[in-house]
Amino acid sequence: MFRNYLVTAYKVYTRRKLFTAINLLCITLTLMVLLVVTALLQNAFFPSGVEGKSDRLLQVTTMASVGNNGGTNRTSPLGYKVIEKYLKPLKSVQLVAAVTGPKTVSVYQDDRVTELLLRRADAQYWQILDFKVLLGRVPSADDVARGRFVAVLNQSTARKLFPDGKAVGKALNVGGQQFAIIGVVQDELQLNAYSDIWAPVTTDPSTEYRNQMWGEFTALLLARNSADLPRIQAEVAQVATQVQFDDPKEWDQAFLWADSKLDFFARGLMNNERVPESGAGTMLLIIAVMMLLFMVLPALNLVNLNTGRIMERSSEIGVRKAFGARSSQLVTQFVVENMLLSLLGGLLGLIGAKGVLLWLEGSGLVPYLKVDINFAVFLCGLVLTLVFGLLSGVIPAWKMSRLDPVLALKGAA
Amino acid sequence: MIRLENISKTYQTDKVETLALKDINLHVKKGEFVSIMGPSGCGKSTLLNLIGLLDRPGTGAISVDGAAVKSYRDKDVAKLRNQAFGFIFQSFHLINDLRVIDNVELPLLYRPVSASERRRMAREALEKVGLGARMEHYPNQLSGGQQQRVAIARAMVGRPKILLADEPTGNLDSQMGGEVMDQLLKLNQDGTTIVMVTHDEREARRGSHVIRVFDGQLVA
Repeated sequence: MFRNYLVTAYKVYTRRKLFTAINLLCITLTLMVLLVVTALLQNAFFPSGVEGKSDRLLQVTTMASVGNNGGTNRTSPLGYKVIEKYLKPLKSVQLVAAVTGPKTVSVYQDDRVTELLLRRADAQYWQILDFKVLLGRVPSADDVARGRFVAVLNQSTARKLFPDGKAVGKALNVGGQQFAIIGVVQDELQLNAYSDIWAPVTTDPSTEYRNQMWGEFTALLLARNSADLPRIQAEVAQVATQVQFDDPKEWDQAFLWADSKLDFFARGLMNNERVPESGAGTMLLIIAVMMLLFMVLPALNLVNLNTGRIMERSSEIGVRKAFGARSSQLVTQFVVENMLLSLLGGLLGLIGAKGVLLWLEGSGLVPYLKVDINFAVFLCGLVLTLVFGLLSGVIPAWKMSRLDPVLALKGAA
Repeated sequence: MIRLENISKTYQTDKVETLALKDINLHVKKGEFVSIMGPSGCGKSTLLNLIGLLDRPGTGAISVDGAAVKSYRDKDVAKLRNQAFGFIFQSFHLINDLRVIDNVELPLLYRPVSASERRRMAREALEKVGLGARMEHYPNQLSGGQQQRVAIARAMVGRPKILLADEPTGNLDSQMGGEVMDQLLKLNQDGTTIVMVTHDEREARRGSHVIRVFDGQLVA
């Protein structure tokens, strides 16, 4: 039976080539856009590469603090003191790293001033993230402990500042501080890895950062295995209740959450700074609904086109019914036909999405972007395709399968 | 084999109600070749559609092989149509996108029959109507008479209890029409019950019974 469906579908689609092309274009463009979005989201929520340990990596990015009078609230990145005093001693964690967010600095070289992004990190940062070292090395624990003025550049920055390709060993004036470049790493866009220059945290011009409860730090927590993540999350939530503020008269309560990448984005978007639940489920649901809505318009267009196409086949519907086809079998036939076209559109959409992502990476519109279409994105594309095929196929199929066989045979449906 | 009791059928269009059939009582016995005759619009095709369960009566009862048709639910009538009836239409109604052999296989698609068995049965049916050499052709590559013979093979492939033919020679010239009639008579001689709607008195008389419909009623 399936072969019969396939043959009929092939014949129907090749008979009306322009119609099929319009159909296919509609499906391909819709799925291409959705696949590009999916690949970007997948890359953000479940990163690979430099943050390849993301399945056992958590991050504490902000501390939400509530004042004694109830009216004062503050949510800001962590101070180094919170990481040092409360997070580094956590028992369930294998490694805890402290890193600042990327901060714009002026780099003086010859007679040029270049604005670049600088992160200051401890030695554990380089152990947790898997930077690909292209030249030289990354800062050691000794470099950090001794406060050595050493710096690492990413590939693009090294090329920009040292076109001769010999960056390692050279000196660089960053915001008035003189650094020796010890290594070059591959460009990265991931949230915790994105920067142009890295220096040890101990090279900060002031030691004041060590005493701050709020600052510009993120803590990266690496678990021994992914099964430990819930325990670590509970431990972090517990430790937040023990936070002692420097000014206990003004500040009373602190909230710290160890989040996965997905939870981190969700918590920020859903504004869930004071509750354990990040809102990731709701956020994913909103994304799914938005994708569905994006599919609805082209799907409705296809519903119209498909109804017209099936209408032309009312005689076939009448014959099939006369010879014993049930309505459900006809629905299956027409949905299978539509699904075939959708799958072809999905495949073309996948190829198109890959092309768009390559173009995005190469265009420099998003610096250091590296997005691949992995198996998860492919699977998501398949699901999107099937949903799209069902959306655009079921309604006309259901409508036509209920045709009165006598009217269908007369072609008067 | 087929019994119609007190069958009436009306069609409602906007504000007009048209009586298509009134108080029809008909019994088609096994092995008969019944020809239904009458002027255009008298209700012949409606009667054939009711017998073949393509349409449902307004009042009255139909029984097939002694069993009354109680349900006109899609699932139930589909099964009955598939097993009890074979249809031949005036305009053939072959699916032009499918090869001849695939067209003939069509009724078997809706039965639990393996692909190889379907192919064997369809080939056999086509050989019986003399089109064994045309299996791989498409319907529009055949003459009208050949297309109707394919339709006969399709109607017969599932060995239905009764063959319903709605003006099977209506679109054919006399020679091709004659060939199709010969095929139908041969099937009838082999034991197939046939009910045929026709305008042609000569063709009607080749069957075992002729019934006449006039203004929705049986007159003879």
